[in-house]
Amino acid sequence: MKCVATAIIRSNQKVADGIFLASLEAPEIAGQCLPGQFINIYFPETTKIFPRPFSIAGASDSRIKLLYKVIGSQTTLMSGWSAGQKIKILGPLGNIFDIQEQHYRDFILLGGGVGAAPLMFLRDELVKKGIKPYFFIGAKTKAELPVVEDSASHLILTTDDGSVGLKGNVVEHFLRMAENYKTPTQVSVCGPDMMMKVLKDISLPQNMDVFVSLEKTMACGLGLCQGCVVETTSGKYNGHYALVCKDGPVFNIKDVKFND
Amino acid sequence: MIDLSINLGKGLILDNPILTASGTFGYGDEIAEVVDVNCFGGIVTKSLSLEPRIGNPPPRIVETAAGMINSIGLANIGLDAFLKEKVPYLRELKSRVFVNIAARSEEEFCDVIKVLDREKWIAGYEINVSCPNVKEGGIAFGTNPNVLRRLTRKLRESTDRFLIIKLSPNVTDIARMAEIVQECNADAVSMINTLYGAAIDIQTRKPKINTVIGGLSGPAIKPVALAHIIKARKVIDIPIIGIGGISAGADVIEFMLAGATAVQLGTVNFFNPGAIYEILDFIEHYMDQHRLKSLNEIIGQAQV
Ligand SMILES: Cc1cc2nc3c(=O)[nH]c(=O)nc-3n(C[C@H](O)[C@H](O)[C@H](O)COP(=O)(O)OP(=O)(O)OC[C@H]3O[C@@H](n4cnc5c(N)ncnc54)[C@H](O)[C@@H]3O)c2cc1C
Ligand SMILES: Cc1cc2nc3c(=O)[nH]c(=O)nc-3n(C[C@H](O)[C@H](O)[C@H](O)COP(=O)(O)O)c2cc1C
Ligand code: FES
Repeated sequence: MKCVATAIIRSNQKVADGIFLASLEAPEIAGQCLPGQFINIYFPETTKIFPRPFSIAGASDSRIKLLYKVIGSQTTLMSGWSAGQKIKILGPLGNIFDIQEQHYRDFILLGGGVGAAPLMFLRDELVKKGIKPYFFIGAKTKAELPVVEDSASHLILTTDDGSVGLKGNVVEHFLRMAENYKTPTQVSVCGPDMMMKVLKDISLPQNMDVFVSLEKTMACGLGLCQGCVVETTSGKYNGHYALVCKDGPVFNIKDVKFND
Repeated sequence: MIDLSINLGKGLILDNPILTASGTFGYGDEIAEVVDVNCFGGIVTKSLSLEPRIGNPPPRIVETAAGMINSIGLANIGLDAFLKEKVPYLRELKSRVFVNIAARSEEEFCDVIKVLDREKWIAGYEINVSCPNVKEGGIAFGTNPNVLRRLTRKLRESTDRFLIIKLSPNVTDIARMAEIVQECNADAVSMINTLYGAAIDIQTRKPKINTVIGGLSGPAIKPVALAHIIKARKVIDIPIIGIGGISAGADVIEFMLAGATAVQLGTVNFFNPGAIYEILDFIEHYMDQHRLKSLNEIIGQAQV
């Protein structure tokens, strides 16, 4: 059951340029979390009123991991969190990356920058099921890569400037290797809107299903405000607006439109 | 046990003066895991129309200083789905349930009421004549005195249920609108709905809300709401249900002193889902401290 809880910051470390990895102790929530879900973080000051949503980047019985990028006021506050500090959170929220190991024969994780966050948790769950996924992570430069080594997956790093890993765009490299993947293939993606749009517009290899985790500005995270809508195609949501916080954040790429 | 109950008149007593504001609490079921919905004196459901409405295109919300602008466009599931999917949950609640209705025409309002009148568990209706972000209906009913009079009369003729008219702050003289509502024998007014608001992205020069202008809510609007309530209290004596920027127990007391018999929590449900617990604790403490036997003793008692 989702609930509001007080979480205690256990660690909060810089792992790349402007990117932090935090560990929160929140036993009421941690044990129930599944990959794809997110939490809301509440801040005590009331000038900026919206809670901020963050994907769960890993969870044990008592702890939740977050991987976040400092881009504005509240993420700047977060970067100053120190061990022992208490914060208010709500979770787990949203739907999940549904691992269908009976159906798919290969699993690919495709992360753009800090978009690796929910995929790290998904990787953990895949590994628990004895699956070794391909894990692509792309960034502009080496300094911005949130993850640099991972023995549990086939890790493929890409950078725009070639400072580490393969040079070029992460989507290009993922497609270039397509013939290696066993089919049917399940691809789970999180990254900037541009990256999702590219994936939507290209014709994908046969027998590949792509699931994307979307981000929209959210006020409640619970389906109360109807603010976080995404336009859909005629598929599962019948062309109606879907709520990213409640119907998502994970969608089959076939079901969503990327035109705003 | 401290008695927090309030009397709205017409035999309608709420366990406490705190209701939810339409459009900020869904139909109660979405948030039931997080908050005990029965802690509220009343639930006001999302604006309901005869047919489902998909609402406005994104972006629909933006954060502003101590508030937010929304342009949801009254997205709702429509009357049929409401009856099938939401009634089984709502009718079992201990909190009194008020159904907020929005419509494009007087006829549509009456059609919805006709069907809902069969549902005996509903405590009353709140009529949304004040939505700032839909093209037809909405605010058009609430800003023209003659249109408001006609509609309120018609609604009064069509139902005996507790009838609340929800007023817009986007008018020159809100007291006049409140007076009209009282003259037409509605049972209460609720105020305020959102204020007109806009925000622009300075990099892209695009409005941050798809409809350009939306509705401003949250702590930023509290002083506006209080001013409007003080003005209305001077000219009407039917109950005022106060809305606008309430986020704490002290705000509730302030609204009641200004003249509100009950209040609604709106935007606070987004940034503090458990606010109701803190608010009820505060009120109990305040009553104890000020030796109040009933909240009636403070309604409209500000020295204005
Ligand atoms: C379901 C979900 C999961 C997310 N998971 C993560 C995560 O794991 N790690 C992470 O670093 N970030 C994640 N985000 C994005 C994160 O919520 C925003 O970066 C954060 O809200 C910014 O807050 P701020 O106060 O620092 O920035 P603000 O001062 O509010 O804004 C700074 C800039 O960031 C942009 N921005 C604001 N809100 C968002 C948003 N929700 N999404 C994208 N851009 C935004 C604004 O347009 C603005 O230009 C997630 C968002 C969603 C909806
Ligand atoms: C996201 C959102 C949706 C709303 N939807 C409705 C609605 O459907 N019908 C209605 O009468 N008022 C609606 N309102 C207005 C609120 O009920 C309330 O009058 C207003 O937000 C001011 O109160 P607050 O500052 O406490 O939020 C909505 C407000 C918000 C923020
Ligand atoms: S954030 Fe409120 S409905 Fe999704």
